[in-house]
Amino acid sequence: MTTGYFEDVVVGTVLEFGSKTVSKEEIIHFATKYDPQPFHIDEEAAQASPYGGIIASGWHTAGMAMRMMVDNMINDRVGLGSPGWDNLKWHLPVRPDDTLRVRTEVIRKKRSASKPMIGTIFGSMKVLNQHDQIVMSVETIGMVKARTIGEAEQNR
Amino acid sequence: MTKTYWEDFPVGREDTFGHRIVDEDEIIEFATEFDPQLFHIDKDLAKDHFFGGIIASGWHTGAMLMRLIVDNLLQGSTSVGSPGIEQLRWKAPVRPDDILSAHSVVLEATVHKKKPDRGFTKFQYTVFNQHNEVKMTMVSTIIFLRRPETVVPS
Repeated sequence: MTTGYFEDVVVGTVLEFGSKTVSKEEIIHFATKYDPQPFHIDEEAAQASPYGGIIASGWHTAGMAMRMMVDNMINDRVGLGSPGWDNLKWHLPVRPDDTLRVRTEVIRKKRSASKPMIGTIFGSMKVLNQHDQIVMSVETIGMVKARTIGEAEQNR
Repeated sequence: MTKTYWEDFPVGREDTFGHRIVDEDEIIEFATEFDPQLFHIDKDLAKDHFFGGIIASGWHTGAMLMRLIVDNLLQGSTSVGSPGIEQLRWKAPVRPDDILSAHSVVLEATVHKKKPDRGFTKFQYTVFNQHNEVKMTMVSTIIFLRRPETVVPS
């Protein structure tokens, strides 16, 4: 199932999808490029850190979640990108060989007053590990095309 | 390099740093792995899309900001990570050959109540390009250890 046009998005819809196992090599590769803090890239330093071993960059976790959303939910012919998001929390470290999946919920939607062919979908996205623990959560904002400027759907 | 602690980032401290050249191949490489939407990975289709050309994944811009933060604020510091990001806004598309810099200002600095050997530091960041166009803003918190001599055992 993928995100449809504005009119097709139903508030309250919960989707769960994806299965991404992350290797230590991937964690180190990503963090070496974008987040080279010792507890992401250096096994010895990570052992001595409060985390007790290498953990994934939070940006890496977010990237892996985004990939699962693109593969399973976001339709790039209807989607118009995102202005950002709020309250991203990294609840627990992601460690090598963890398997992640994503749960999304549509919280509310709003048609643009000035551009009625565009709507905004406000959602909640959670990343879970193989132990069903929430490792990351974020309040998402996505823009999608509308089919029509139909009155019935306006601001629904 | 002198080690920096929570005390070294008081409220109001401002820093401007970085020149990160955004490479088209890197945009495509990042997005192919993490955000394979057509306007990030397909030069031809991106031309006819809303954005009028290939643009960086917003997550890539975030990751590039993170690298600037690590290289300029966190290196040699006592950072033990981040609980999260309060707000992130993508203000304008980041395109190939943009040169990104960042400005940071410390909004809040508070001692961790349960673990007084560390403190929370809330930063507001602005990412801008070589034409001073604002591309992204972010408010996020980093946890730094405090100078040992300033910590009063609880």
